[in-house]
Amino acid sequence: MALGAQRRTELLRGVLDLCLLAVMDEGPAYGYEMTRRLRDRGLAIVGEGSIYPLLGRLERDGLVETYRAASDGGPPRKYYRPSSAGRLALGLGVSEWRAARDAVDAVLAPVKVEVAS
Amino acid sequence: MSDFVDQCRQEWRRLGVADPLADEMAADLASDLGEAEAEGVSAEELLGSSAFDPRSFAASWAAERGIIPTPQSRGSGRRRPLVLVAFTALAALTLIVAALLLLTGQPKVSLVATRAGHAHVFRPPVAPFPPVTSRQVLQANTSAPIEWILLFLAIVALGFAVWLWSNWGRSRPPSVST
Repeated sequence: MALGAQRRTELLRGVLDLCLLAVMDEGPAYGYEMTRRLRDRGLAIVGEGSIYPLLGRLERDGLVETYRAASDGGPPRKYYRPSSAGRLALGLGVSEWRAARDAVDAVLAPVKVEVAS
Repeated sequence: MSDFVDQCRQEWRRLGVADPLADEMAADLASDLGEAEAEGVSAEELLGSSAFDPRSFAASWAAERGIIPTPQSRGSGRRRPLVLVAFTALAALTLIVAALLLLTGQPKVSLVATRAGHAHVFRPPVAPFPPVTSRQVLQANTSAPIEWILLFLAIVALGFAVWLWSNWGRSRPPSVST
């Protein structure tokens, strides 16, 4: 894997749970639908892992609620939505992310070197 | 696609995942893979590198859901034998020291139990034993040779170490990468 792609994978790994909570907070979604919502925002799941183990962890930790319902013309799917604990975790996580992002930006802002990716 | 789901099913069966849960995960996965394929999205885009390793993917998913024991992290897996090795080495060293002390003659070191403010007065034995002081009598009556204590502790510790080693060998889970 190229260095850039590897870094993106590492960065995404730390916040993918927040991204999943965020997209399912827009409306209940099943697994592939969440992948689609992420991809529509330019966030492709590449590299290691996938969303399924992470969804399993969120479910185990009580951060999501699930229910089964028929999808559009397809088989019944398992839908996920954030629980109240999940919304709280999302809010806290977003604050942490913004603080970390601002701190990193402050460090990287003076850097003049830019390479097209 | 169905081959990937079948391999996941096999892995879940091997790991002892209950059939209803395995059926549910397999159905969801098959539906998602089917929908992705219909939209021209590859399995790798949906599953990442897990698309090439269905067994690890299945084990990871089941472990994260909490329906099988979570695999040990590599770090703690390495630390545990180190602690065991150190413990076993210490027990063996103690055994050797105790054995050497016992073989090299009369025990010379004693643990002496004393009670502050408590005066134990023993009448010294009469002849043919030589006269002794009250302090010496106190030591002889309340002390235990440390060599024997060390030997006993070392044997118990070694037995415990053997038990730990045999259990550790049996309880090591299969390595799973996420």
